[in-house]
Amino acid sequence: MDEFDDKEIATLLRLKRHEQPPPGYFEDFLHEFHRRQRDELLRQPLWRICLGRANEFMFRLNLSRLTSYPAAVAAVLVCAAIVSVRVYQEPQRANFAARQQTTFNLSAETEAGLSLASPVAARIFSTKPLRSSKSGHTHPRNSGTPPRYVLDSVPVSYEPTVRF
Amino acid sequence: MNRPKADEDRELVARTQAGDPHAFDELVIKYSPRLYGLVYNMTANHEDTNDLLQDVFAKAYKAIRGFRGKSSFYTWIHSIAVNMTLNFLKKRGRRFHMSLDDVDAGIQSDKEFLQLTARSSPVREADLSELQKRLNEAMMKLSDEHRAVVTMFHIQGMPHAEISKILKVSEGTVRSRLFYANRQLQNYLDEFRKNPVS
Repeated sequence: MDEFDDKEIATLLRLKRHEQPPPGYFEDFLHEFHRRQRDELLRQPLWRICLGRANEFMFRLNLSRLTSYPAAVAAVLVCAAIVSVRVYQEPQRANFAARQQTTFNLSAETEAGLSLASPVAARIFSTKPLRSSKSGHTHPRNSGTPPRYVLDSVPVSYEPTVRF
Repeated sequence: MNRPKADEDRELVARTQAGDPHAFDELVIKYSPRLYGLVYNMTANHEDTNDLLQDVFAKAYKAIRGFRGKSSFYTWIHSIAVNMTLNFLKKRGRRFHMSLDDVDAGIQSDKEFLQLTARSSPVREADLSELQKRLNEAMMKLSDEHRAVVTMFHIQGMPHAEISKILKVSEGTVRSRLFYANRQLQNYLDEFRKNPVS
């Protein structure tokens, strides 16, 4: 066989495992490693050493894991507080109150208008406006026109309007 | 077979992460011969290998807190060693001299060595030191990446899958690099066969 084939090359390369460092090298390697670590430590500025120690302490305590749940709960509470403050803001409360008042007035007047105790005629001519122009709910274009009286709320009836 | 070793490594890593420096010493003792072989065969220089290996373990010690065990410690430390050596070789460039270790006496009783020298082959004519020199010269003519693959596969005996994990390339890339490197080595050694004295 005149040429090196793949197998022979592989065998030759495997024999390179026998190239070894001087005896005792690996025993000294660890001492050398410790010496270099110490040298590096001494060369570092004091603040970096302190920072490293603090880091180590935090890592041992595993503070990040301990604080993660309370931090998450606190974040949720803060978000909830912000949302609730926005929901119950002052302007919205005022609007809601005004709307509620209008509803109450309307229902009271409707009740009065539809009462069976009063005669129908009286009901017809009791032309109280359900909404006044002062309430601010009229269209801006109608501000100059006389107030609109709502008569639609009177029920249709075939009863005679005049009593003798 | 690898399970107890992996478990042992995991335990040593956990102890190191918990602040036990002796656990890391055990990892150094365990991995330094193997990593020495890897770095040495990539650099072909004993002094460079010594410095690089010290740096590899120093870097590993600093980074071990961030090691989450997604790969084995074996793969992780080999990745650090290969990457640091490749970076070093890029900086070193072509300006270097070989500083080779002696071949230990164990080679004389190595079965493969005996078979190789017994057959009619170019190896028989060459003496051992000359052959070692030629082979190392041929290795150093390869690119750094090809040499890394040849070292891990042929010298360290790693499987393709492990090499692909360490180098973060596909197994196909590992195989093609090996094929190319084998052809190159074959050409260089054939020249040696034709001109054994030069």
